[in-house]
Amino acid sequence: MTATAPLVSERLCGQLQQAITTLSWSADGEFLAIASAGGELLLLDFRAGCEELLRSDRDSSLNAIGFSADGQFLMAVGQASELLLWELGETGVRPMALDPIPLDAGWLDAAAWQPRGLLLAVAAGRQVRLWDGAVRAWRPECLDMPGTVHALAWSCDGRRLAASCHGELALCQPEAAPAAMPLRAPTGSAGLVLSFSPIGDLLACGQMDRSLLLWPEAGQGRPWQFSGFPAKVRALAWSDQAGRLAPALAVASGDTVVLWQQRNQSQQGWKPEPLLWHQQRVHALAFAPDSNLLASASADGTVGLWDSRGRLRQPLEGEGQGFQALAWRPDGRHLAAGGDQGRWWLWPVEVPSRERQRRSGGAGFG
Amino acid sequence: MAFTSAIPAADRLPVTVLTGYLGAGKTTLLNRILTHEHGLKVAVIVNEFGEVGIDNQLVVDADEEIFEMNNGCICCTVRGDLIRIIGNLMKRRDRFDHLVIETTGLADPAPVIQTFFVDEDLRDELKLDAVVTLVDLKHVLLHWEAEEVQEQLAFADVLLLNKADLVDESERLAIERRIRAINPMARLLTTRNADAPMDQILGVDAFELERALGLDPGFLLEEHAHEHDDAVGSLALVEERPMDLDRLGRWLSDLVAKRGPDLFRMKGIIQLKGEENRYVFQSVHMLLDGDFDRPWKPAERRCTQFVIIGRDLDPEGLRDGFSACVA
Repeated sequence: MTATAPLVSERLCGQLQQAITTLSWSADGEFLAIASAGGELLLLDFRAGCEELLRSDRDSSLNAIGFSADGQFLMAVGQASELLLWELGETGVRPMALDPIPLDAGWLDAAAWQPRGLLLAVAAGRQVRLWDGAVRAWRPECLDMPGTVHALAWSCDGRRLAASCHGELALCQPEAAPAAMPLRAPTGSAGLVLSFSPIGDLLACGQMDRSLLLWPEAGQGRPWQFSGFPAKVRALAWSDQAGRLAPALAVASGDTVVLWQQRNQSQQGWKPEPLLWHQQRVHALAFAPDSNLLASASADGTVGLWDSRGRLRQPLEGEGQGFQALAWRPDGRHLAAGGDQGRWWLWPVEVPSRERQRRSGGAGFG
Repeated sequence: MAFTSAIPAADRLPVTVLTGYLGAGKTTLLNRILTHEHGLKVAVIVNEFGEVGIDNQLVVDADEEIFEMNNGCICCTVRGDLIRIIGNLMKRRDRFDHLVIETTGLADPAPVIQTFFVDEDLRDELKLDAVVTLVDLKHVLLHWEAEEVQEQLAFADVLLLNKADLVDESERLAIERRIRAINPMARLLTTRNADAPMDQILGVDAFELERALGLDPGFLLEEHAHEHDDAVGSLALVEERPMDLDRLGRWLSDLVAKRGPDLFRMKGIIQLKGEENRYVFQSVHMLLDGDFDRPWKPAERRCTQFVIIGRDLDPEGLRDGFSACVA
C-alpha cells in the first residue's frame, strides 16, 4: 500500500436477514438491487432516495438478478425455479411485479439480460431459454445442452450468447438472420463462469478442473488453455481499458487472484501476475468501469482494491463477515458489496486518475 | 488421496447418503428424519420433487448428473449436480445442521460418496457421516442379482432391514446371512416402517477414521471369506503378528491401482511393529485414507483386522498379499 490519499473514506450500509448472494445496478446507476439466500430482494432508488423491499425473507434463495439494458425490467431467479419479473416505472414509484413464470427446472442460478437489447437468457436445467421483453414471452426456440448449464454470458454488443456445461461450450446468435446452428466446442470440464471482453470480443471460461480457456475471437477458433490454478476458477473480470493487445483479465481461484495481460500473439503470450493477499476463497472480482482499478471480494472478510500494476491500494473490511458479491456502479465511482451474513455496503471510491488515463478510444463500447 | 480435509471435522457439515432399491422405504425414512424431534435442522436433497410429503424449504431437487473428472477414472467420477446444488445450499449454512442426500433406487452410491472427497469445496465444507442403505426384506431377493442392489449393500455403513413385519424370522435370518457375506462391517438394524432410532442413522461418523471401525464391535472374530455365488462379496483378514507400514502401504497402493474399480470399500485396524498406537485405515474404490489412532488398550487383543468388500475378489491372492506385509 502506498501513502497516497485513501480511495474510500465513507460508506453506506444495511442489513438483510440472510447471506447476500448477488447485487446488480441499473445501467443508469440510479437503482441497485440486492438479493439474499433467503429470497429477499431489496431495491435502492438513489434518485428518489428511498428503498423498497420487493420480496421479504421466504427461506428460498435468489441467485441471479439483473436490470434490462433499457431499465424497464428487473428479473430474479433462484431456488424456487421461477422467473420473477418487475416492471420499473418512474423513480419513486413501486415497481410492478409480473406474475412469476414457473420453469420447473430445479434450482436456477444463472440468468443474464442481453446488453443493448431486451432478451433475457435463463439457464433452466439442460436448456438455455430466452424471454423476450419486447413481447413479454418466451422465444419458441431454446439452446439445448448435453448437461446442466452452469454459466451464461452475452458478448458486449449483445449479439452472441455463450453457455457452458460439463464438457461443452455453446455459442449462439439469437438474433442472427437466417438463424444459424450454435457453435459447440469441447471443454473437457465444467465451465463455471464465462465472460466476454468489452474490447476485442475475447471469451474467457473458468473451469472446474482448475483451468482457464480463452478464445481469441468470441468463442471461435482454438482457445488458449491455462492450467495449474490452485483451485476451481470461479470468478472472472475483464477491464474495459484497452491493453497492449487485449484488456486485462482478472481470474479468481481459491484465495488467489491472477491478473493476466497479453504481451504477444503466441501461445505463451499471456503473462500472469498473482495478486496474493486474501486468506480465504475469493468469491467475486470486478474492474471499475472506465478504469483498471480491480476490486476482489473474499470470504476472509475483506475487499481488496488493486491498481493496474497489481498493487493493493486499499483493503476494505467486512466487520467480521465474508464477502460474497461485488458490483460497481456504472459511473465507476461507487462500489457495492454483499456479505455472507446479510450485510451490504456501498462505498464511494476515488479512483486514482492514473487508473483512468488509458481510456479506450471507444472500440467495443460506448 | 486422503479422505480427510485440512478443515477440522467439527467445522464441517455432516452428510448422510441414503440409498436403497426402489420401494425399500427411502421416502418413509426421509419423512421420519424431517419430522422427528431430534433437534437438528435437516436439509434434504431428493431426486424427484413431490415424493417427500413435508412442506419444507430445505428439501431441494437434484437431477443426477455424473461428471467424469479424469478420463473416466472411476474414483474421479462424481455427481456434478450435487456440487452445484450444495454450493448454492451452503450459502444458507446457518439454516441447517445436517444434510441428507437421497439417491435414486438405481444409483451406484460410489459417485455420491466420492463427490465429498474429490471436490475441493465439498471436501472442506462437509464431512460424510454415513451411507445408510434401506433393504426391503420382502422383495430384496427378487432383485438380488441387480448390480445396484449389491453395490448399495456393499457401500453401506448402516443397513436398515426394513419391512421386517412382512417376513418371518427364518426368512429374515437367511437374508441377513447373505447380506453379512457382502458387507460384514455395516451396522444392521431391523425395522418395520423405517422406524430406526435417529441416533443410529444421523451422527454416525462412519467416515471418521477413529470411529469407522467401532460401528459393529467384534465384526471380525475370525478370519473368513464368505462362500456365496454373489459377484459382490467380502473377505475378512486377521493377523496376530505386527505388520510393516511401508509394505502394507505399497501393497494397498498397488492393489487399488490394479483392482480399484472392483474394490468398493476396505476398512482395517492395523497393529504395526514397534508402535503403541493402532493404525486405522479405510478406502472407497481408489481413495485411501489412513492414520494413527489411540494406543492399544492393555486388555485389548492386539491384532490386525482387515475387511475388503468388492466384486470378484480373489481370496487367496489377497490373503497372500496381506500376509507378505507382516513385519
